[in-house]
Amino acid sequence: MPEDHQGTDFRKGMIRKRLEKVRKILLVLSGKGGVGKSVVSATLAAMLADSGFKVGLMDADIYGPSSALLFDAHTLPKEGKAGLMPPARGGVEIMSVDLFAAGKPVPLTGHGARQVVLEMLALTDWGELDCLVVDMPPATGDIMMALTSIAKDEVAAVVVTMPDRLSTTVAHRVLEILRSGRVPIVGVLGNMIRSESGDGPVKGGAAQRLAREFGVPLLGLLPYDSGVTEAVEKSSIRALMSTRFAAKLHESMNPYIGGLHLRRRKPSKS
Amino acid sequence: MHELALIQGILDSVNDASARQGGKVTRFKIGVGELAQFDPKLLRQLFADLTRGTPLQHAKVMIVPEKSRVRCISCGVTWDFQDLAKQLTVSDREMVHFLPELLNSCAKCPSCSKSYFEIEDGRSIRVIEVVLGA
Repeated sequence: MPEDHQGTDFRKGMIRKRLEKVRKILLVLSGKGGVGKSVVSATLAAMLADSGFKVGLMDADIYGPSSALLFDAHTLPKEGKAGLMPPARGGVEIMSVDLFAAGKPVPLTGHGARQVVLEMLALTDWGELDCLVVDMPPATGDIMMALTSIAKDEVAAVVVTMPDRLSTTVAHRVLEILRSGRVPIVGVLGNMIRSESGDGPVKGGAAQRLAREFGVPLLGLLPYDSGVTEAVEKSSIRALMSTRFAAKLHESMNPYIGGLHLRRRKPSKS
Repeated sequence: MHELALIQGILDSVNDASARQGGKVTRFKIGVGELAQFDPKLLRQLFADLTRGTPLQHAKVMIVPEKSRVRCISCGVTWDFQDLAKQLTVSDREMVHFLPELLNSCAKCPSCSKSYFEIEDGRSIRVIEVVLGA
């Protein structure tokens, strides 16, 4: 596609300007699909909103968008003077390609997916945000680089992995890419971890080893929880927030929220 | 009206080019891709409104329509947007208006019936040229 004059893209200036009003951009990555990254992103966004922060959730997983479904958001974003107004659910402002595609498949090349993410970032009028949680696509290429190059100072990353070798191998690569790109890493979250004896303590040695190897915190080990599936079936973020999984995510992330240097813009519910 | 945000973004970019290269903008050329289905009258009005009272007020704005061409990645045939537009419903057109790549979610290649296009030309709005004077 032809670029702007002198190879620039005016949308990057628009994005930079919009992200100047966002205190922190939290990328949630896994590298591999199916490890629960979107559920972690949605729960984290809702958790931050419940704690009194002004939060946006950007669904950058163009190939498998699920944020709109998780928040039961179906309306096309309204057009305002400053751009598209993301619909708000449970205190979280949501932008997803699925708000436009409405469940239709979105078959795109890598270049096409990058264009869609840039366009959504350029057009979305988030206003002032304490935190923008970004549900990243499984791959680690174009979209991550676009985001980290535009908003380098505000970005930090959380890496989600399951305890199996496939997931941790891919998560290892993601951590290497983040490290080489000098993207601050908040830590590693182990997900869908089953205890050896029913309700006993969960085992997450692989996630722990990964965190240790990269010298980053192991944020926590999130249990496999059938309640998550039930909440997703109902498209109920409130049901999701009342699961054991969400309680553990809250416990895992709480010590690190302070380190994100967020600022509450609205009174806390608690 | 997201056109307003896009035009403001373009004007900011033109101003940045002027500041970077040092010089007053005498004219700038904007390409408007067919896929985004913008109303040219509205764009002209927005440029006039948003430049009034700014350093760009007297710069000449040239708005050039750009035909859209998309290539089917599956069979390699290239199509004009108008070849595909008849397949689209009103809501499909709206979806493509916001995010042109979503043509892949609503149109099929008339040759092979696959929905896997790559946009070659005429995607949306872009800055083609900024001319600076003394």
